[in-house]
Amino acid sequence: MKFKVASKILDANERIARENRKIFSDAGVYVINLMSSPGAGKTSLLENTIKGLKGGMGLGVIEGDIMGTDDAVRIENLGVPVVQINTGGACHLDANMINEVLGDLPLKDIDILFIENVGNLVCPAEFKVGEDIKVMILSIAEGHDKPLKYPLMFQESSALLINKVDLKPFLDVNVEKIRRDALSLNPSVKIFEVSCRTGEGIDQWIQWLQTLTS
Amino acid sequence: MHEASIVGSLLDIAVKECRERGFNKIASISVRVGKASGVMPEALLFAFDAMKAETIAAGASLAIEEVPVSGYCDACRADFTVEEEFILSCPYCGGSSFRAQSGRELDIIELEVD
Ligand SMILES: Nc1nc2c(ncn2[C@@H]2O[C@H](COP(=O)(O)OP(=O)(O)OP(=O)(O)O)[C@@H](O)[C@H]2O)c(=O)[nH]1
Ligand SMILES: [Mg+2]
Ligand SMILES: [Zn+2]
Repeated sequence: MKFKVASKILDANERIARENRKIFSDAGVYVINLMSSPGAGKTSLLENTIKGLKGGMGLGVIEGDIMGTDDAVRIENLGVPVVQINTGGACHLDANMINEVLGDLPLKDIDILFIENVGNLVCPAEFKVGEDIKVMILSIAEGHDKPLKYPLMFQESSALLINKVDLKPFLDVNVEKIRRDALSLNPSVKIFEVSCRTGEGIDQWIQWLQTLTS
Repeated sequence: MHEASIVGSLLDIAVKECRERGFNKIASISVRVGKASGVMPEALLFAFDAMKAETIAAGASLAIEEVPVSGYCDACRADFTVEEEFILSCPYCGGSSFRAQSGRELDIIELEVD
């Protein structure tokens, strides 16, 4: 016997994402889902952001990695509440993983919660976790062809940080092409050129963050 | 890459729908997969065959209907379908103000049960 069902396969995830979102907004927490390929500089950006804000805002971090606690230790060393999620192989965080750790964060004291997703330029863009916005990083060492090769994340992100611009002298990368292609995929994306090594561009990023929550 | 978690959700939904109707065995599951959903049909089939064992879908087949990526152009008002996985511009007028209409689907549409 056959019967019709009309069910989105990711419905369960979307439902839990909406629950998370409600919990966050009730607690007054603005949530940023931070995505990039492995090593583009997510944790470095968080370190720079924490230092740049100098306690002017309550921050919290959820670290998502396949295994290990290195990134959470880096954040903890800066005195910011952090929870490590190990996905045990999964290539992205999903809404349920976030839901399970909500009790481990002092949400009442947090203005902006960063969720550092698993390093991966593809899959994290497919799964809502309860964020207000998605932000992505592309480091220039990855090459200027990335927006058109991995379009979804560029389309889904409200902001794109082009990181490691201190490496420009050593690379043949065309940063203008990254900008152009990202804007063609997503005309409203806000673009920042930054270096987490020299601190270049971090001020503009932090100013933008402050406008999000003010 | 995350076909395993997709198949996990797919099996959860199918098993629940089947049981709710009083059946205990799934013979086939039909799904619609958009070409821009990020899910590869071959990888989905592979994960399905690996994960269905020890569920009431152990003997089930998976039928995948691929949905092309389509859009509507605000500038020239054309409805269009593209071969690619993403729309970069309207294929008729080259405009960049368009609305995606299909391509992100990831839906279960039919179950066959015994
Ligand atoms: N030269 C240079 N190196 C950087 C910059 N930002 C980060 N790095 C280096 O890049 C490497 C990876 O940085 P992380 O911040 O750990 O990257 P990540 O995205 O958090 O990596 P995963 O969590 O493993 O995906 C580290 O060795 C950083 O020191 C930058 O702006 N310039
Ligand atoms: Mg990291
Ligand atoms: Zn057109």
